[in-house]
Amino acid sequence: MKFESQLQLQAYLDGEMPEAQRREVEAWLAWDPEARALLNELRQTDAALAVGDCDLKLPESREFYWSKIQREIRRLETADSVPDRSGVWHWLTLWRRWLVPVGGLAILTVALIWGAWFSGRPNSLEVVLTSGNGTTYRDQARGMTLVWLSFPAENRFPEDELDALLFY
Amino acid sequence: MNARGILLKCLACVAVGGLALTSPAGLRAADLKLEAQLIWGTNESRSPNPKHKAVQAEIAKRLKDLPFKWSHYFEVNRQRFTVSAAETKRVQMSDECEITVRQAEDGQVELVLIGKGRRVGKVVQRLPRHELLVLGGNAPNFTAWFVVLRQAD
Repeated sequence: MKFESQLQLQAYLDGEMPEAQRREVEAWLAWDPEARALLNELRQTDAALAVGDCDLKLPESREFYWSKIQREIRRLETADSVPDRSGVWHWLTLWRRWLVPVGGLAILTVALIWGAWFSGRPNSLEVVLTSGNGTTYRDQARGMTLVWLSFPAENRFPEDELDALLFY
Repeated sequence: MNARGILLKCLACVAVGGLALTSPAGLRAADLKLEAQLIWGTNESRSPNPKHKAVQAEIAKRLKDLPFKWSHYFEVNRQRFTVSAAETKRVQMSDECEITVRQAEDGQVELVLIGKGRRVGKVVQRLPRHELLVLGGNAPNFTAWFVVLRQAD
C-alpha cells in the first residue's frame, strides 16, 4: 500500500477528511481487506494511546496554526541562506573580493620599483669630452661601460697633451 | 575602522611608497659607497714600479674580456669613498689624476676626469651594483691607463 493511502486512512480515522473524500475511502475499505486491516490496526493503536494522548485545543484555527508553522520554517530556511557577517569566513570572503585588485596593484608597484632600480629604466649614457675624441663601448652582459679617450698616437702627442695623460 | 578603510589606507601607503622610491628624489636620497681604481695596462708581466700590484682578479678578467691588446693590468691606486646626495666628491688618484663624483639626476652618477688640473671629460650614467664604469686612454710605450668606478661592496 502506498504511503499516501496510509495517510488517507489515518486522516479518515482522525476525522480530518471532507465528506466526499470520506465516502470514497469507505468505498475503498469495502473491497480492500488490506486497507481494513490497517485501519483496524490504527484504531487499536489510537485506542491504546487514548489514555496518554493529551486533548490539545489550538488557540487559533487549524489552517492558521499550520500556516504559522510553515511561515516559521520558511523564515528559518531564509535565515540559514544569509551569510554570517560576524565570523572569520565573512572576513575571508570580503578580502577575497579585494584580493585581485590589491594583488594586481601590489605587483604593479613592485614591478615599477624593481624596473626603476634594476633594468626598466633606460641606461642612458652622457659623455662630454673637453678635448680629443671618445669611443663608448657598452657590454650589457658583463655590466660594463668603457669610454675610451682617443688622442693622437701616444708617442706623437704634443707635450702638454701627453703630460695630461700620464696618470700612472 | 572598517575593512574598506584599512584597505584604502594600505593602498595609499603602497602608492606613496612606490612613488617615493621611484621618484628622482627617492633615488638620490641614499649615500652612495663607491670604489675608484687607477689601473695601468701593459704587456709586461712585471711593473717597473714596485708599488704597483696586480689588479683584483674579477676586475682583471673583465678588462681582459675587452678587445684590447694588453695582457697585464696593475693597480696604481684604489680609493673607497662615500658620496651623499648633495655632495661632489673629489678624489686624488695620482699626482696628476683626479676625479670628481656626484649623484646626478634619476639615480645616475656623474664622473669627471681631471688630468694635471685640466678637465678631460665627463661621463654620466647609472651605476648599479656590480657594474663597472671604465674610462681609459693611451699611455706611453704602447700601454694604457684606466679609471674604474664601481659601487663598493
